Amino acid sequence: MQPSVNLPFTNIETIPGRTIVQSMGVVTGSTVRAKNVFKDIGAGLKNIVGGELKAYTELLQESRNEALYRMLVDAQARGANAVVNVRFATSSVAGGAAELLAYGTAVIIQ
Amino acid sequence: MSDTIFLIYLAFSLSPWIVSLIGTFLYQNAKKDTLLQREKAHSILNGDNLSTLSKPLLGKEVKEFRMVMASVVMSPSWIQITIGRIIAIFGGHINVFTKIIDWARREAKQRLRDDISEAGFDEVINLRLETATITRARGGKDKTSGIEIIAYGTAIKY
Repeated sequence: MQPSVNLPFTNIETIPGRTIVQSMGVVTGSTVRAKNVFKDIGAGLKNIVGGELKAYTELLQESRNEALYRMLVDAQARGANAVVNVRFATSSVAGGAAELLAYGTAVIIQ
Repeated sequence: MSDTIFLIYLAFSLSPWIVSLIGTFLYQNAKKDTLLQREKAHSILNGDNLSTLSKPLLGKEVKEFRMVMASVVMSPSWIQITIGRIIAIFGGHINVFTKIIDWARREAKQRLRDDISEAGFDEVINLRLETATITRARGGKDKTSGIEIIAYGTAIKY
């Protein structure tokens, strides 16, 4: 688990109950995670019957938290105190690695 | 003697396919049934509390918010991949894959519902669904493949 950065963030255009006074630009955070060989074997076996591949779900969850964390660190470095309109984008890099990108608009709220 | 060896060889080489056949029809259906039960248990009480709108529908004031995320990776079974490939020769609607993707999306959305009701939130607004596929590694030798679904939104409390 990452040390948490204490910035409020939403994926709607505003922070409810607050006013946005200044935009600090787009902040991004991304991470590429490869599959673990041992988890890969388990997932390969689970692949025979189909259904959820729990090992990959966990992998995805970890990389999602990592990407969010990097985005928030970026926002903090710019002096923002909130991030609005957060979006995720995923893509798969060759070799079974998964890339996860989180991006949003860093803002200063009152 | 050679017959028994042949039979043992046959059993071992066919066993993943037999497991796949059983898994496709029994395991997957059982999982889908439990998912349906979870969905029903939720919707009877509150109606659906996920929406893609960026504001709560009735203009209620938001007291508390948090961004919530849920993800799931689903894979078709060997049998389903084979059926899909055969249908793909002729083209058209590949029902086996549609079912898997639909199942994965439902599962991801249900996880969001479970999450927010546990944390005491009322509704999720601005729901987004993101999809990606896990590629076949190492030149197609690895059969592992799957669909990743990420569902995310803002949970709010009135």
